[in-house]
Amino acid sequence: MTELYSSTPSAPTRRTTLRAAGGGTLLLGLGLAGCRSAVSEAEAPAGKAGAGPRRGGTLTVAVNTDFTPSLLFAQSGQSLQQRLIYNTLTRYDDRLRPQPELATSWEYVEGGRSVTLKLRTGVIYHDGRPFTADDVIFAVKNLQNPLRAAQLRATAAAVTGFEKRGDHELVLKLAHPVNNLFDLFEFMVIADRHSVEDAVSGKRLNGTGPFELTKWSPGAGLSLTRNEKYWQPGRPYLDGVEIRVVPQADALLSSLRSGQSQLSFSVPGKNLAVVKSTPGLAVSEYSTGGGAYYLGVNTTVAPLHDKTVRQALAWGIDRERILKQVLGGYGLASATPWPKSSPAFTEAGRTHYTYDPGKARELLRSAGHTRLDLPLLHVNLPGETAVAEAVQYDLKQIGVQVTLQPTDPATAQKHLIAQTMPGLWTMGHGFAQVQPSTLAVSAYPFNEAKNTSRFRSAAYTKVVRDAWTGPATGAAANALRQRITDTLLDEAFIIDLVIRGSVQVSAAKLRGVTLNKFSYLNLDDAHLVD
Amino acid sequence: MRRYLLRRLPSALLVLLAASFLAFALLRLVPGDPAAVLAGPDASPATEAAIRERLGLDDPLPAQYLRWIGGLLTGDLGPSYAIGGQTADLIADGLGATVELTLGALLFVVALGAAFGILGATSRNRWTLGTVRVLTTGALAVPPFVTGVLLVLVFAVLLGVLPPGGRVPLLTAPDLGVQYLLLPALCLALPSAAVLGRYLKDGIERTLAEDHIRTATAAGIAPRRLLWRHALPNALPPVVTLLGMQTGHLLGGAVLVEAIFAWPGLGQLAEQALVRRDYPVVQDLLLLLVTVFVLVQLLTDLVHARLDPRIRWE
Repeated sequence: MTELYSSTPSAPTRRTTLRAAGGGTLLLGLGLAGCRSAVSEAEAPAGKAGAGPRRGGTLTVAVNTDFTPSLLFAQSGQSLQQRLIYNTLTRYDDRLRPQPELATSWEYVEGGRSVTLKLRTGVIYHDGRPFTADDVIFAVKNLQNPLRAAQLRATAAAVTGFEKRGDHELVLKLAHPVNNLFDLFEFMVIADRHSVEDAVSGKRLNGTGPFELTKWSPGAGLSLTRNEKYWQPGRPYLDGVEIRVVPQADALLSSLRSGQSQLSFSVPGKNLAVVKSTPGLAVSEYSTGGGAYYLGVNTTVAPLHDKTVRQALAWGIDRERILKQVLGGYGLASATPWPKSSPAFTEAGRTHYTYDPGKARELLRSAGHTRLDLPLLHVNLPGETAVAEAVQYDLKQIGVQVTLQPTDPATAQKHLIAQTMPGLWTMGHGFAQVQPSTLAVSAYPFNEAKNTSRFRSAAYTKVVRDAWTGPATGAAANALRQRITDTLLDEAFIIDLVIRGSVQVSAAKLRGVTLNKFSYLNLDDAHLVD
Repeated sequence: MRRYLLRRLPSALLVLLAASFLAFALLRLVPGDPAAVLAGPDASPATEAAIRERLGLDDPLPAQYLRWIGGLLTGDLGPSYAIGGQTADLIADGLGATVELTLGALLFVVALGAAFGILGATSRNRWTLGTVRVLTTGALAVPPFVTGVLLVLVFAVLLGVLPPGGRVPLLTAPDLGVQYLLLPALCLALPSAAVLGRYLKDGIERTLAEDHIRTATAAGIAPRRLLWRHALPNALPPVVTLLGMQTGHLLGGAVLVEAIFAWPGLGQLAEQALVRRDYPVVQDLLLLLVTVFVLVQLLTDLVHARLDPRIRWE
């Protein structure tokens, strides 16, 4: 074999190999040099700094979940495009005070049973049709439709009558006063009533917002261009927005670090340390939070029907560790569902249950237990799994052996709605960032009438109803919110763990980005600078 | 040939029918349904019930099955439940992207595999041999999700010469499209190129040891001509067979690579559809997969029958 081999043809000579490699590289180089660079095409050209915002540039936003048109009117995993394509009636400022958008002014009459809205004139949809009061009537009725799966349906359903006074004045008649009407106005996008079915199938999204949808490629993302007829003069500054789906966390991070995308709200906490050390990227956090992780308790499963046992679990979990390990420190360890921006937030409530395994064991003993075995269902996604494992570890320290039940999101959701959860489960909830009554009325885990925990209490129902129909501000409102918080803490059927940070990672050259309370991206004032 | 085809057709149809039953039934056996997913974690049972009714999920299962099959037969795949848009459009878009990625990877497999094989079999330089060995071993040992992240880190983040992910269709903008394709195609191709290279190396070495090569060498044929005209053609047939098999692997491996490079192909579509229990999309994708396999099988049988006349009468 050796002899034969030595007499066989020689390998391509070094010269040949080098020639081939060099030729190939040259061809590739010439080919690529002669054409546009995908990297520079993806980078947003910037306006000039110093002399105020300049028009121009396309912003690329990286998201980890695609837009779901069928959930256009609900709070879904990806709501960034809502305020780009559409407008809402009002928007909250940082102190939860409504500010004008398509509604320019409002007035409560008849003891809160009627609201008169003055609507903005000169607003037109992307297809050229003028915006009128009929569009608001449609928007409210649309959310009353259970098919839209809108979490604020109960509030929309409280509107029982409409009185049109011309094209730009409307009176909403309410069945009873509700103090979260402006949550609805912040949440409800004013879609074109003539093409709503096209919108929920993703064919055509016609709104009055600052950008028009030019293309939705399922799995890839959305392309939007500036609405030249936008009602805010001179806005938006950007020529266009690309919302690009990057499902894998590392790939999303690379997309930001390489400059391919300039904005994201989907960077996991554990990756934020890398982002912070990357020049040209900035990290900021919204006080509204991004929902919360909680430990749900099925109150019909023994011994969890005993409030003392539930409270023991609440004392036995190290929330600060979860915050640090799972969220990279971005968020808030909290025993209550309220983020710092909520009027119901109090430091006393947040720290009501701190990590005290001794107290937890003592409570368990007082309830007649030294050792418990409990199942815990969790969604088999990385963040949720990490939370469940942390809970399992902590509860083991107080004598509660937890068996994890990893479950895919669809099955977990089915259990949640069908009230078939095992003794314990961990998931996420939203809706604590606005009026506190919205959480108890619109978020199913907290619903007073029917919830996954199967918790029923006349006192809870009363306080929720009173808080919902009572005043939105003032001492009475605060007292009712405090009673909701006290009930949640005392009954511990939902044990809140940590409020996830709503973290924005953006290119340092990007300015003027904001989110509304429901994570709708507002780029009216956004611009790029050198 | 036609008679042979007609004889094979009923069994192929039967396989498709059985596959449609299985795809439909398996999805219904898995817990969770699209209505719950669409309703979301904060929704009430009433909302979920309304969505179930709209999607027709309360209808008897045979009625749902017949509705699906009826749609397929009339060419109407219907709307997607959860992803949005028409199922046919979603599959067509995803298929285009996956085929583009697979073909790109196939080019890399052939080019790199040939380079590895020829250099490995013929070089006498120990550095070259060592490099080829390290490269092929590395390409086989390191999984694509690691290779992918490394490629992105080097070419997109550190050097900034190629985009880290996404896709511009080649037909829309070839100059940009090829740059988006390079990294995912290379990542997908590396393990297959290593396998192909090793097969080719063995094939060339075996051929070079045969008598006719020795005779040709003795007759004074130039070494280069000996390699390209005599050794390589003889070593190729088993490698070509292997390449066919590797193409199947590439299609399967594309699922993972698509996720790493945010490449919107069938893999990502299938993953999304499964997570959201988008019954029409998953069912149609499964049936498409079975149809492709049945067609390939049928085609292979036809080619064999063409090559070997005895098969037609068996």
